[in-house]
Amino acid sequence: MSTYISGIGCISPQKTIDNSVFPAEAVNQNALFLQCIQPESYRDYINPILSRRLSKIIKMGITSALISIKDAGISNPGAIITGTGLGCVEDTEKFLMTMLDNNETLMNPTNFMQSTYNTISSQIAIILKCFNYNSTYVHRGFSFESALTDAIDLMQSTVAESALVGGIDEITENHFNVTSLLGHWRTKPQNNLELFEHKQKGTLPGEGSVFFTLTRNKQASTYCELKGIKTVYKPATMDVVAGSICALLAENKLTAHNIDLIITGMNGDQQGDAVYDEICQTMFDTKAVAGFKNLCGEYHTASAFGLWLAANILKWQEVPKISIYKGFRPNTIQNILLHNHVEGKQHSIMLLSKV
Amino acid sequence: MEENELIDKLRKEIIQQLNLEDVKPEDIDPDSALFGEGLGLDSIDALEIIVLLEKNYGIKIEDPKQGKTIFASIRILAKYILANQKAQ
Repeated sequence: MSTYISGIGCISPQKTIDNSVFPAEAVNQNALFLQCIQPESYRDYINPILSRRLSKIIKMGITSALISIKDAGISNPGAIITGTGLGCVEDTEKFLMTMLDNNETLMNPTNFMQSTYNTISSQIAIILKCFNYNSTYVHRGFSFESALTDAIDLMQSTVAESALVGGIDEITENHFNVTSLLGHWRTKPQNNLELFEHKQKGTLPGEGSVFFTLTRNKQASTYCELKGIKTVYKPATMDVVAGSICALLAENKLTAHNIDLIITGMNGDQQGDAVYDEICQTMFDTKAVAGFKNLCGEYHTASAFGLWLAANILKWQEVPKISIYKGFRPNTIQNILLHNHVEGKQHSIMLLSKV
Repeated sequence: MEENELIDKLRKEIIQQLNLEDVKPEDIDPDSALFGEGLGLDSIDALEIIVLLEKNYGIKIEDPKQGKTIFASIRILAKYILANQKAQ
């Protein structure tokens, strides 16, 4: 049974909110971490009485979800499934700081209630008055992949005709400062558009909210077909990842030869990018390779932004110049393989085809 | 602190605590209802005001049902704060 991406809503560090423009002019933030470009006004999407209480990530989630279902012409999705690595960080920080400042005696109820991971999925359901299946996955680098897999399973088992699936994470200054201690990030502001040109230790963190409306049937708004997804956890060698790619291709009666473009989650980190280079050299040596984290930065659900890029490339048959890492843009793009990994532990592979 | 001075202070604190982006202090009639028809606040806002009272004025509302009377308007809230601070 087929699964189609028929609607998208994307709020990212790029000008992605308008689905009628692709590719938009790439934005260089020249910063230590990439932050999303916010809509001019959330009032166009969310009732101001409700939105006054909502933090940035919740507004981004609701808005991108509403844009996605509108894009697909659907008002009541069969399921709402969200993936998030860290959930509502800003709200969590606020209520923890208030507790600390007040010797653990006072707690702001709004920040406390909204700090939970499933706030976004539930707020979307409340706004849409959607009483269908609602779930949130929090599995670090597999959060979005888990949400997507669940949605595909629901639709293939005919439980749902459509599903709204999102990947969403936010970055705050405090979160950046804490995670900097792990040594994953660059220590000086970086031109994100040049991320692939200066490979070194560390990368740029980012954030984003991308929602997809999946449908069982192809329709006028359909971007592409999502043929399949596989995940590999902590592979002993890259042969294990290569084996999963071969299996995914074989399940869809394709070979490496049929792939027109590889989109990787390369992020400028020397060690992490070597993984993609190894896979591309051994399996797709003559193929064009693209990246997406120079546009969105690194975060647990960045693969959702990668999927946004892949779906748009297939729909518009246009590869943004800034995304091409190696090779030349193929004349026709029929099949795209998306490979992402987070810290070398969580690998995901998605296969998409033009409709 | 005089009652009117406290009313002005409360107006600003409530706007900030409840993130009432479009409301100016002078828009809040001290005698209008805070909940329901007036400012249109709800039960979560009531919890936020309970936290505000404890944090800024050291007044602890043990029984949330009291809130219905105390939070009827800004003026009644100001009177309650003045009476209870004096009592302490």
